[in-house]
Amino acid sequence: MISFDVSEVIRSLPELWIGLEFTLILVFTSLGLGTLIGLLACLGRLLGNGLLPWFCAAYTTIFRGIPEVVLMFWIYYCGPLLGGVRPSSLIAALVAMSLYVGALLSEVFRGGILAVPKGQVEAARSLGVPEFWVWTSVILPQAFRVVIPALIGVAALTVKVSGIASTIGVTDLVYQANIIAGQSYRYFELFTAVGIFYFFILFPMSMLAKVYERKLAMRSR
Amino acid sequence: MMIHNQNGEAIISCENVSKRYGAFVALRNVSLDVARGEVVCIVGPSGGGKSTFLRTINGLESIDGGTICFDGITIPGPPRNVRLIRREVGMVFQAFNLFPHMTIRKNLILAPVRARGISYAEANEKAERLLRRVGIGDQIDKYPDQLSGGQQQRVAIARALAMEPKVMLFDEPTSALDPEMVKEVLEVVRELAASGMTMIIVTHEIGFAREISSRMVFMMDGSVVVDERPEEFFSGAPEPRLKSFLSKVL
Repeated sequence: MISFDVSEVIRSLPELWIGLEFTLILVFTSLGLGTLIGLLACLGRLLGNGLLPWFCAAYTTIFRGIPEVVLMFWIYYCGPLLGGVRPSSLIAALVAMSLYVGALLSEVFRGGILAVPKGQVEAARSLGVPEFWVWTSVILPQAFRVVIPALIGVAALTVKVSGIASTIGVTDLVYQANIIAGQSYRYFELFTAVGIFYFFILFPMSMLAKVYERKLAMRSR
Repeated sequence: MMIHNQNGEAIISCENVSKRYGAFVALRNVSLDVARGEVVCIVGPSGGGKSTFLRTINGLESIDGGTICFDGITIPGPPRNVRLIRREVGMVFQAFNLFPHMTIRKNLILAPVRARGISYAEANEKAERLLRRVGIGDQIDKYPDQLSGGQQQRVAIARALAMEPKVMLFDEPTSALDPEMVKEVLEVVRELAASGMTMIIVTHEIGFAREISSRMVFMMDGSVVVDERPEEFFSGAPEPRLKSFLSKVL
């Protein structure tokens, strides 16, 4: 007979809280670094010359094409073979996730920039506006509006993918729940609790996306 | 080809300008001089190279041959030449191309501040003055999509004027407008012409071109076919291709 013992969850809250902290560290760090990497890769592809655009395109294609779990294992286990030092599981997870998020975002950014009508750039250039300001005042603000829903989508995906870090030993939500449940055999309670935790991280994001999409729809009436 | 004699110093001098897109020749050896204060209207069938030619003058299209000299600055030349020319040449597009994420005020302020380096306060004052001049001073804090097409195009003209250009280029400024809004835009262009602004206007409004131009140019298949004062352009018309074109549009 299945019984649900809430007190088991309450007893485990301090451990789960640690897990939540690590999950949030994974998410926000990889989103931050991924944004930076994505922006550089995207601009390198659009503006660079020589081998740089090719290199950026290769990065995007390869890292988008590898399952996140393989990437994480690869960096964690093969990193020492290449670099001589074993990265901590947290560092390995952060590197893997940042590279993955960066590859996703570089395509999101590129799509946004290419969606800015050519006439906008021509108008700014025809006014003699220097290239730096053409980008920062005309292209990027318009591109950003277009990509906000996709950005929120990538952020949500990052939250979900962060759970994989538990497989290399990062003490995130999934890892903590697994350890506690392994001792008490209360898998039902703990993974229900973890599901609720994730839901409350993701729910505001999807609401935000909805609100924004409605706003966009109203403006393009 | 008939070339109208210049009496006055040329501010724009194009010699044998050519442009290809792959195998397609968009411009073949186009030569045209424009003197200060002239209003040159370019007409002709679609695909004849009018817009392409206009866009080569401020470097929106690169050229494959020939030279363009604007007020002593030449293309081809050092890369900075294109920007030097753009600062002195205003352009108005068929599709207005206002910046949709900025208010009208910011649309007018961006270039003077970033390209000319004048202060925000000065640019702001100039923006207000120019918008009153084109008759939409009360719309200054609205966004472009809150304005009618005619109003947007007048803003676009004011935005170009905010750079205090020596020459204005118009690329079919009324082609995207509803008929009832054409007049208000042409009124602004007419007023500019009267103020002595040097202008090159690509247009399908033949009647308007005839009224305000000091010279009419007929372009077809990438070449300048006729370059005449309006009286000769419309009365004589011995050129069969021009005759045929005029018979279709008049």
